[in-house]
Amino acid sequence: MINLRDKGAEFWERSNRPVRVLTVFAILAVIAALPYAGNSFLQTPIAAFDAVLVYPMGMFILMALGLNVVVGKSGMLDLGYVAFFAVGAYTMALLSTHTGLNTWEIMPIGIIAAMIAGVLLAIPTLRLRGDYLAIVTLGFGEIVRVSALNSESIGGALGIAGIPFPPGLGFEYQLLDQKYFYWTILVMILLVIWVIRRLTVRRPGRAWESIRQDEDAAELMGVSTYKYKIWAFVFGAAIGGGAGVFYASRSMVIAPDNFTLNTSILILACVVFGGMGNIWGVIVGAAILGYLPDRFRFLSDARLLLFGLVLVIFMNLRPEGILPRKKREKAIVKKGSGATL
Amino acid sequence: MFDTLIHQFWSLTYSGIALGFIYVLIAMGYTMVYGVLRMINFANSEIFTVGAFATMIVSKYVFDFSAEMIPPSNAKLFLVIICCLAASMLVSGLLAFLVELVAYRHLRNRTSNRIAPLISAIGIGIVISEVVRILTRARTQFSPNVVPKKALFTFQGAEIRLDNTVTIFAGLALFIILERFIKLSRLGKGIRAVSMDEDSAKLMGVNLNRVISLTFILGGLMTGAAGFFYVNVYENVKYNMGFSLGLAAFTAAVIGGIGNIRGAFFGGIALGLVEIYASAIVGTQWKPVTVFIILILILLFRPNGIFGEAIQKTRV
Amino acid sequence: MNKKIISGFAIAASAALTFGVVASVPASAAVKEVTIAYQGPLTGDAAQTGIDEVNAVKYALKKYNDTKPAVKINLVTIDDQGAGAVALTVAPGAAANKKIIAIVGPAFSGATISSLPYYKAARLPMISPSATNVTLTDKKSVNYGYPVFHRVPSTDAFQGPALAKWAVQNQKSPKVYVVDDKSPYGTGLASFVKKALASGTLGGSDSTPDDTKDFAATISKVKSTDSNVVIYTGYYAQAAILLNQLRAAGFKGDFAAGDGVMSQSFIDGAGKNAEGALLVAPTIPLSVGNPTMEADYVKVMGAASGEYSAETITITNLFIEAVKSGVSTRSAMLNFINGYKGLTAVGTKLSFDRNGDNNGAAAIGGFIVKGGKTVAIEVVK
Repeated sequence: MINLRDKGAEFWERSNRPVRVLTVFAILAVIAALPYAGNSFLQTPIAAFDAVLVYPMGMFILMALGLNVVVGKSGMLDLGYVAFFAVGAYTMALLSTHTGLNTWEIMPIGIIAAMIAGVLLAIPTLRLRGDYLAIVTLGFGEIVRVSALNSESIGGALGIAGIPFPPGLGFEYQLLDQKYFYWTILVMILLVIWVIRRLTVRRPGRAWESIRQDEDAAELMGVSTYKYKIWAFVFGAAIGGGAGVFYASRSMVIAPDNFTLNTSILILACVVFGGMGNIWGVIVGAAILGYLPDRFRFLSDARLLLFGLVLVIFMNLRPEGILPRKKREKAIVKKGSGATL
Repeated sequence: MFDTLIHQFWSLTYSGIALGFIYVLIAMGYTMVYGVLRMINFANSEIFTVGAFATMIVSKYVFDFSAEMIPPSNAKLFLVIICCLAASMLVSGLLAFLVELVAYRHLRNRTSNRIAPLISAIGIGIVISEVVRILTRARTQFSPNVVPKKALFTFQGAEIRLDNTVTIFAGLALFIILERFIKLSRLGKGIRAVSMDEDSAKLMGVNLNRVISLTFILGGLMTGAAGFFYVNVYENVKYNMGFSLGLAAFTAAVIGGIGNIRGAFFGGIALGLVEIYASAIVGTQWKPVTVFIILILILLFRPNGIFGEAIQKTRV
Repeated sequence: MNKKIISGFAIAASAALTFGVVASVPASAAVKEVTIAYQGPLTGDAAQTGIDEVNAVKYALKKYNDTKPAVKINLVTIDDQGAGAVALTVAPGAAANKKIIAIVGPAFSGATISSLPYYKAARLPMISPSATNVTLTDKKSVNYGYPVFHRVPSTDAFQGPALAKWAVQNQKSPKVYVVDDKSPYGTGLASFVKKALASGTLGGSDSTPDDTKDFAATISKVKSTDSNVVIYTGYYAQAAILLNQLRAAGFKGDFAAGDGVMSQSFIDGAGKNAEGALLVAPTIPLSVGNPTMEADYVKVMGAASGEYSAETITITNLFIEAVKSGVSTRSAMLNFINGYKGLTAVGTKLSFDRNGDNNGAAAIGGFIVKGGKTVAIEVVK
């Protein structure tokens, strides 16, 4: 059995420290240089490549990493993830236009607001099993969007405009050259990866893994499943909220139609497409699914059709995703059990 | 705030029940599949869209119906109704069968990952609705109503219209036929057996693939019928019409207890009424919020929906 | 598994090849030429508006390019689906594309608001044929489009009162029920309509998001408030669905709507129910204002012009004049627009004030649907 994920892991195990450091730096350098690759075959027609790198690609990666903690690591199907993104974005929009706080000051507030939303949703609903959770989270996403749409005090259908850029950190964020935004989001992604990897090897990560494999057994073994499920949810929400704050700050304008159910589904597709539970797979999946629709813009009418076909064909060819999780992490299957994913 | 509700109560209730029956039939597509596979069939909303288009095409282009024409005689009308309904049901049933073949069968045998089929079903859904979008150039297509919208009689100030009445009675008949079929026929027993325990059913000689295909086809037939009734009452079709209706029908199935077809029946009608009442009381723009808050409240007190799961009785 | 990886690589490699081929099409050309862009909904729910407009741009450009001019004008179409969220991903590209020297559009106000920051930063001049939200030319608003944004039609602030007035013309004691579609356009226009209604004539209001299929609740409210006029501020497809259900439920009063409903598709969808519908729009259709050009349009494009075709042709012609006078950069175009004094395709005066509004904006036209067509009746004052 050869798969790309195991190949990578094998290479990593075999290498010594300098080789590892060199590899990481080489990969990072290539990724960081992407904004300069705009004139190559990567170029997206109509949309600017550097802007596509920030949104959808970068944002999708960030959100997919957050959703992966909920869906991939702890096995809860969340179809309303965009709600946390929206909470973060609206926090940024409201605070920046009403108070004079800048993006970096609002970032923790936005993250906390999203976490509170996460707790509010999690406490009543996390006792529900798999697919009931799916519809409830979906409903929550719609509640947030429709409420924003119907509240004229927060802009209603027109949304909120005039959101300021983040203040520069020794450089100035530019509208027409988005490489600083891209590098910022790259740093955010690295930070999130680091936190997730820390958590995964510690107690919460092991608890999530046990919940995903068999919730009842985990409970029997003394894992407080309810508590760790809430934590997974809130942690995912925090990442969504942070992404939302940055998104609002970069877009300068937000409106309820940026936060539809389609976004939630798309992010979920990124997670599954890349390989649930494996952060590298999720990153690759999100990058591809964020990039493709803009790359295919020259097909104009048929591009979403093609996107649908890609989903069907790839899921059939690689049901575990492009880079699936390690074999030993795979759940023991109990057929018909709602707890396994 | 409650003026409209009090003033127009019977009229609202009647429309709500008719809408509810459309939800009931679409919900069958979700709940049957869920009962057997424990998977949400996300392509069901597009199966509904295609069913609705079938009625539009048959009435408009095969029978040359138009809004200005003189209503045909009863015998001809009956023939047209049957043809449209049959076309919608057959097309949707066939599509559901294909969806299972392409999106589910291969994956079902290959992986225990329960979200992968979900994504491939979403992919199929995108493909179907995009094809319809490109063919219709994204425009709403208006369909002449086959069943005339004349008032039969007036009850407490509410006009009882023929189109709503046909929806309610035919919907009820279809539901009863399906229920009896699952309860009494050999194939129905197979469906129930698989929904209770897949492995034991296999050991007892049930042909798993056949039962699953049949489940999809039955769900598709019902969803297609919903498409016919929808076009009759609302007279329009659009490539993305399935999205909001499918979501509502899925919610209905969850309210009643997904996997339970009696639950879906109750949930569909309850949801139709709740939507109409909520729109009348708090305004149409708050309808989705009200619906989902009620859903969350129901699940808090009855975590498996009002009637609990499983196609018949309980699952072990 | 091995085979699958190989097949995966094969797919990736063939994809890369395709991309490579597409990307290597030479960008530079020998002929001297400039590029303008059209931005609007070319796919999605509102595509008809965009397709009508882009055809009008193509018509005007074809007339010009067929004269074998010294400088050819190319067209880039930018599809924003009429939605702010999509505009956010395409606007940076259009702004960064130095070849584009001016934009016809964006068609919709919401998409305009999202795109504006980029076009302002890139000083890319734009003239919209149909974005009528007031904030775009309001100095005090954050959506203020100065200096790049201009538009030909007059705003919702004029259309709202005209609609309120036009809608009640058949009723001695009007009672108006206002329904909007929750879009930026619909809610904006509805608030101006409500403000302009004579006191005591507003029966009530409801918002029906554009995926609403069942209007039973809204219709019940119309009935229980005894309203005899329904004003819908939204787009044509939903308007036809609402009107059909209103008539099926026995509503006998008047139906009125704004420019979003000014479309033959509305009449086709509502059939005989549309008879007598009262419409207003800040536009004079080409077929009414300039029948000669309309006849030529039908000959060249093979179909009748659409709702905002006159405005769109006006704008394209303005850009053509600019190119004829030697304009080839964004800043020169901006100067040209600000100093422009001329006529529209329907013969009204055209020049822009400091905020980007049209000084000679066509007054709001009042229309009635008769015999399956919209007939222009008079200018609503």
